[in-house]
Amino acid sequence: MLTLRDAPPAMRPPAVRPRGRRPFRDNPIRILASIALLAAALGIALTFATGSARYSPDFLTEFVLYALSVADLTMILALVFVLARNIIKMMVERRRGLPIARFRSKLVGALLGMTLIPAVLVLLVGSELIRSNVDRWFNAPMEEIVASANRMASDYYGERQKLTSDTASRLARLLASLPFPDADPVAVRDLILPEVVQQRASMIEVYRVARARTGAPAVTSVVDVAVPSLPREYNRASADRLAERVAAGSREAHGPEPLGVGGQLLRAAEPIRTPDGTLAGVVVASDFLTGDLAARSRRMTDAYEAYNQLKVLKNPLVSVYLSFFLMVTLMILVGATWMGLYLASRITRPVQRLAAAAREIGAGHFDQRLEPETSDEVGSLVEAFNSMAAELSASRQNLERSAHTLKRQHQEVEARRRYIQTILDRITTGVISLDDANRVSTVNNAAARLLGVDGDQSGRPIEDLLARPGLEPLAKLFAAGRPGDADRPAQEVSLARDGRELHLAVATTTLHGEGGAVEGRLIVFDDITPLIRAQKVAAWREVARRLAHEIKNPLTPIQLCAERLSRHFQAAPPVTRELVEECTRTIVGEVESLKGLVDEFSQFARMPAPRRIPTQLPQLLSDTLALYVGLFRDVTIETHFPPDLPMARVDPEQIRRVVINLVDNAIEAMDRRGRVFVEVQHLPVERLLRLVVADNGPGIPEGEREKLFLPYYSTKRRGSGLGLAIVRRIVAEHGGTVEVTANAPRGTRFTIELPA
Amino acid sequence: MIRRAFLAALLATVLGACSAPAPAVFAFSGPPAGDEGLHVTSLTKDGQILVSFSLADGLTGELRRAIDSGLPATITYVVELRRPESLWFDRTVATATVTATVRFDNLTRQHQLSRTIDGRGEEPRVTEEEEDVRTWLTAFDRLPLFSTAQLEANSVYYVKVRAYARPRLNGSLFWPWDRGGKTGYTPRFTYIG
Repeated sequence: MLTLRDAPPAMRPPAVRPRGRRPFRDNPIRILASIALLAAALGIALTFATGSARYSPDFLTEFVLYALSVADLTMILALVFVLARNIIKMMVERRRGLPIARFRSKLVGALLGMTLIPAVLVLLVGSELIRSNVDRWFNAPMEEIVASANRMASDYYGERQKLTSDTASRLARLLASLPFPDADPVAVRDLILPEVVQQRASMIEVYRVARARTGAPAVTSVVDVAVPSLPREYNRASADRLAERVAAGSREAHGPEPLGVGGQLLRAAEPIRTPDGTLAGVVVASDFLTGDLAARSRRMTDAYEAYNQLKVLKNPLVSVYLSFFLMVTLMILVGATWMGLYLASRITRPVQRLAAAAREIGAGHFDQRLEPETSDEVGSLVEAFNSMAAELSASRQNLERSAHTLKRQHQEVEARRRYIQTILDRITTGVISLDDANRVSTVNNAAARLLGVDGDQSGRPIEDLLARPGLEPLAKLFAAGRPGDADRPAQEVSLARDGRELHLAVATTTLHGEGGAVEGRLIVFDDITPLIRAQKVAAWREVARRLAHEIKNPLTPIQLCAERLSRHFQAAPPVTRELVEECTRTIVGEVESLKGLVDEFSQFARMPAPRRIPTQLPQLLSDTLALYVGLFRDVTIETHFPPDLPMARVDPEQIRRVVINLVDNAIEAMDRRGRVFVEVQHLPVERLLRLVVADNGPGIPEGEREKLFLPYYSTKRRGSGLGLAIVRRIVAEHGGTVEVTANAPRGTRFTIELPA
Repeated sequence: MIRRAFLAALLATVLGACSAPAPAVFAFSGPPAGDEGLHVTSLTKDGQILVSFSLADGLTGELRRAIDSGLPATITYVVELRRPESLWFDRTVATATVTATVRFDNLTRQHQLSRTIDGRGEEPRVTEEEEDVRTWLTAFDRLPLFSTAQLEANSVYYVKVRAYARPRLNGSLFWPWDRGGKTGYTPRFTYIG
């Protein structure tokens, strides 16, 4: 039997017939045994029915009918059970939509109909035949014949019995004349002998009655006389018992006594009473019926009784025969029903197994195999099914292997893609990939940040993306070359974004497919703004260093010469001396001024590396801003330092210088009248500390803001123009950034961000 | 599982039918009214419970015809001494079976009568009188069927008698068991001890 379970394919064993006990329908020995048993039961029933005439009606109605009824009921229940079980089973199968269920129910219905209808018809017709035949047994002539015969025998029997009784009565009266019970036995014999001689009785026995101590009568044989022809097999004791009963007053004074030779003795007893009515004795007269006569009489009576018994037991007997008939019909029905169901099962089961196995294969269980049960066409079909399943299984395995390989390759590609994506997301180089129609495929984080666009630009034409304000130089550069052009080296492009100048090195690369066809382009651009700035700073530092070197060296001789000239002209006329002194003072003053300027250049060129230590910025700022207390009457310095700020690793001296430069610039920009706002913010997500110095002065035009950080650029009438350059350098060497923006509602706002 | 349960129920039905030639009668909380025609009385005397019962119309026309046909006819009386239970079926203390059989000889026109009590036969009789046959089959007077040793003092008892005749003349095709049995009860009596 094929077993189908919902197990994983890998765990599902091949469909093989389990060892051990085979189902009934697949066990030929048991099937043959069952058929033999049914046939044997049928044979026994038929044999019994054939010989039923030999059994007495009483036996038939008392035992056979009982057994048959039980057997009938059992088979009816079995039949109902088999039918109900299979009907319910078929209904369930049809409701569940099992394959072949409809065909199977039709097949079973047809087979059952072919069996049931003829069987029921035969049963009905046969039952009616039995009833009508039994009715024919009892017809009026037959009843009259047997009744008359019995009446004749009975009358003859009664007549002989009556004669015997009369003889006994006459003898009792005769014997009463004797002095009974003390009468002489010879006298008694003489008195009764003529009755025997004249054959009015075959035997006469006379008893004397005496009272026992208990008062019960006791009989004693006095004399008996019998004809010589009377067989000696008679039983004297029966006559004794009859005499005793009569002596005891019983009315049962006569009765037959069968003899071994076949005849009967008809006995009659009569009490002998004295004239005063006292019981003195008993006389028993017996008449011998020959064997033939008794036998004929008995046969006539037996025939009559048998007829009447049949008549009395007519209904139970009809029931017996109907039960026989019903039992045989039920046996045929049970057998036919079972056979029909068995055949239907044998026909539909292979198809059902095929359908179930096909469903399993459809569900992906390709290891389903069916064991061919027969070598006929169905067996060939099963073999073909198994071959198909094997080929499907092999194909499925190949497919699974290919899918596995593909999946592994996909995973590798995906891992590589994630790797590249991670790199693209993390690198500071902006990368934009385009398809062959110049539509954006990807924009990495750096590109989005540098261009100020969203990262999700997929499918958008690159021209649209570059049409944003500020990106015009990039658009022009891109328009100068089209996809398919040769790869071009990086070109520098300057963009103005948010008031800042952004320098990008832009390169384009063409993407080629396997056949060399152009599949798209890559636009790669690096932010070289810091590099440009560093180059500028380095250049200015070199200029400063050379200026300091070239200017500072001749200053001392110039100053010494001027002082020498002044001393030399001490003796000159006053006019000349005053002129010389004035000139030398001017020269010395300017030399001193140039020395200060050169010192500042030196400091800018030789600024030391910061020595960063953990520092509380609020404390450092408070100490620094305390220097301004009382210096500027019309300047207000406001601070805002939130509590629990983390320590900053900075060089306190350099940061102090940064703050002084910014505050000095703010005060000068406000023309020493206004409000300066100093604030520190903590940005935990970005891990930054933000220092803001803002004023409410006139502000700086947007085009000049970036130039503020260039060396020797100043909007003030005095100063070296290195203050903000030094600020930018200090901040840069601390790993931070500084930006200048407009303050709201007016003024300038410097924002420094340092690593927290 | 359902198949086994159904087979068990089927087997129980068949076995129950086979083992019950007469339908069982259950009595709750004392004797019911019983069938008319079977009159039962009891008397406790000399350590014996003497039971008398008579089956009026026991010799039915069908049974009379069966007797006349020469079939031996037997009326079986199952006499039960029972003790009422309040919350359960009455308990049967003792049971006795009394049978009365008559066979008519159409040749001699004599009835041979015999009786058994719990299988013990009495002296058979022969009679030609119809009334004797009727009395023999249907009337039983003071039969010492039970001993008072089986009784508990101050307890309530009653006697139940079920009567059914053989041969069965009304057996049907599908239900051969007796349907014409009659049942009678004595009133409850308290055994003093």
